[in-house]
Amino acid sequence: MSGRIIEVNQRKVQVLENGSGAPLLYLHGFADIHSVKESWLPFHEQLAKHARVIASAHPGCAQTDENKDIDTIEDVVFHYLEVLDALKLTQFDLVGNCVGGWIAAELAVRHPEKICKLVLIGASGLFVQGALIGDIFMMAQPEYGSSYASLREMLFSSADHPMALEMFPDGKGELEDEVRRYQMLRLSSRIGFKPPYFYNRSLRNRLHRITSPTLVIWGEKDNFVPRSHGETYAKLIPNGSELRIISGAGHSAHL
Amino acid sequence: MKSVQLFCWHFMAYPYLAKDFDEKEYTGWVTVPNSLWDNNKARGLYQEYIDQLVYADELGFDGMVLNEHHQNIYGLMPSPNMIAAALTQNTSRGKIIVLGNLLPLHLNPMRVAEEYAMLDQMSNGRLVAGFAPGGGPETFNYDVPSANTREKFWEAADLIVRSWTEDGPFAHEGRYFPLRYVNLWPKPLQKPFPPVWIPGSRSPSTMTEVAKRGYCYFLSSRSHGGETHRAQQEFAAVLEKHGDPYHPFRFGILMSTYVAETDQQAREECEEGVWYFLKNCLKGHLRRVGRQLTYGPGVPYIPAAAWREYMKGYTPGRKLLGDVENWEELEASQSIIVGSPETVTRRIQNLIEKAKVGNLLIQFQLGNMPDHLARKSMKLFAEKVAPALRHASLKQFTEEYPGINFEQSAEAVH
Repeated sequence: MSGRIIEVNQRKVQVLENGSGAPLLYLHGFADIHSVKESWLPFHEQLAKHARVIASAHPGCAQTDENKDIDTIEDVVFHYLEVLDALKLTQFDLVGNCVGGWIAAELAVRHPEKICKLVLIGASGLFVQGALIGDIFMMAQPEYGSSYASLREMLFSSADHPMALEMFPDGKGELEDEVRRYQMLRLSSRIGFKPPYFYNRSLRNRLHRITSPTLVIWGEKDNFVPRSHGETYAKLIPNGSELRIISGAGHSAHL
Repeated sequence: MKSVQLFCWHFMAYPYLAKDFDEKEYTGWVTVPNSLWDNNKARGLYQEYIDQLVYADELGFDGMVLNEHHQNIYGLMPSPNMIAAALTQNTSRGKIIVLGNLLPLHLNPMRVAEEYAMLDQMSNGRLVAGFAPGGGPETFNYDVPSANTREKFWEAADLIVRSWTEDGPFAHEGRYFPLRYVNLWPKPLQKPFPPVWIPGSRSPSTMTEVAKRGYCYFLSSRSHGGETHRAQQEFAAVLEKHGDPYHPFRFGILMSTYVAETDQQAREECEEGVWYFLKNCLKGHLRRVGRQLTYGPGVPYIPAAAWREYMKGYTPGRKLLGDVENWEELEASQSIIVGSPETVTRRIQNLIEKAKVGNLLIQFQLGNMPDHLARKSMKLFAEKVAPALRHASLKQFTEEYPGINFEQSAEAVH
C-alpha cells in the first residue's frame, strides 16, 4: 500500500494505491475508505489481490482539498477527468459505491472507451419515481443526544451490524473518523441535498452509451438507495449488465 | 451616551398543543404533523400576538422584535415582514427589528431589499434590518445545501446593502445571485441605510464579517452564563482588530423573563407557559430528546477545520436548554429570568454589568402563556424594572465608554 498527494488544477488530491496488475479505480461512498476510515477495508484488500487498486478521496474528503466551485455532479465528474489525466489512466476498471457509484456511472456515459469493466454498488444517481433516495443528512443528526442508530440503519442492514457500530458509533467516534464523515457529508450537501436529491434526471437516458460489461451489486435490504434503482441501472445499461443481490446485506453491500 | 435598549421579542408560538404532545410527538420542528393545527382555536391568534407587541410600544419599550421560522410550533412567522407591516400601522414610536430575514432561502435577495425598504418607508425610518443565514431546521425545510450557506448569505447581505446605498441600475456579477438590473424602488428612508443586525453563535468568522462591515452582532444563545460575557469579549477583540472600539450598542442578546408581584407568584403564574416552551417548542431544536436538527454533521455549514475544533470540545448527549429537569436547573441556565421586579432587576442588572450589552431583546410571552399574564408581566417590567435598568446602565456605559460615538459605523461597507 502506498499513499500520496498529487496536484490537480492547483488542488491537492489524496490517492491511495494497493496491489498490482491492471488498474482499478475505486470511488468511495459513505461507509468507506476516505469517508470514515483512513485506510483500506477488508473488501479493498481482497480486490488488491487481483488488481492495482487506486482510491482517490473526493473533493473536500480526507486530505483532498475542498473545491467551493462544486455545485453539481458534473463538477465532480470533471474533477475526476483531471485526476485520470494526472494518473495517466487511459483504460481501467471502475468500481463505485453509493455516491462513488453515481460518479462512476456519470464517467462511464461520457467516456465509455476508458472503462474496461464497471461495477456499481448501491449507486445513487438515478431518479426512480416513487422510490426516493433516503435523507442521509437528517439521519446524520443525533437522536437522543448521541444515537446514530438511524444513520447506521440507513447505511447497513441493521443498526447493530458490527461494522456499522465500528464506523458510526453512538456518542463520539475517533476524532479524525468524525472529521472524515463530516467532510463527506459536506461534499454531498453540495451535490445531493438540494433537489435533485443524489440524482441527475438526465443520467437515465444516457446509460445506453455504456459499453463495458457491467455488474450491479445491491444489498437485499438497502435502506438508502432503494433496490429499484439497482434494477433500473441493470435494465438500462446495455452490455451484459447483471444485477446481483447480496442476501442479508444493507446499503454497504460490499462490506 | 444612551441607556440600555429594551426590546420586546415575540416568537408567536403555536399555543394549542394537547398536554400529551411531548409524549406522543417526536418533534416540534420540520416534520411536526400540521394536522395538529386547529382553526377553531387559532382564529384570532395573530391579532392577539400583534396586539401584545403594540402594547409593548405603548408601554415605552424601545422596540419590537420579530424573526423568521418555518414549519414548526416554536414560531409562526414564516414571513416576519408581514407582521412588521402590521406594526408599522399600529405603532408609532419603537423600532421594528426583524431578526432576521433568512437570506439563503431566497432565490433572489432583492426581494428582501425591497420589502425592508418598504418597511422602512412605511414605519417612518424605524426598521432594524436583520439578516440571518438560517439554521439546521430551515436547511431541511427549504432544501438549502449547507456547504455554501455562508458564502451565499454574505453575498446576499452585501448585495442588499449595495442596492440601498448605490444608485441603480447596476449589474451584480455575483457567484450565487447574478443580476443584470439592480435598481431598487423604493429606497429605504434611513441614511445611509437602516441599521443592520446579524445573529451569530460565537463563530469567529461571523464576528469578523460583522466587524468588517460595522454592523451590530447579536448573540443567538438562549442561556447566559459565562459564555455571554466571553462572547462579548471575543467580539470586542475582533472589533479592536478592525480599529473599531467596542461599545454596548454593537452587541445584543436574547433573554426571556416573567415578572409578577412576588417571586413565588411569578413562578406560579409562568410555570405552565415555561414548561410548554421548553418541552414542546424546543423539541427538535434545543432538546436532545427526539432528533435535534439545529447543529450536527447533517447540516455541515462550517468548514471541516472548524468542525474538528468543535468536535474536540463536544460532549455527546450533553443537556441542552430544553432538557432541564427542574426549576433550579432552569434558574442556573440564566435563560428565563423569573421573579418579582426586584429579583428580575437585580439579575438583569448583573447580566448587563458583566456582558456590557446595550441591546436586550426580551421574550415575554412563552409557549402557551395566556394573553393577560403576558401583558401583566410586560407592564410590571416597563414600570418597575425598566427604569432601574436604564438608570444604572446609563451610569455604567458613561463611565466605561466615555466619548464613544455609538451610532452605527457603516462607512466600512464597500
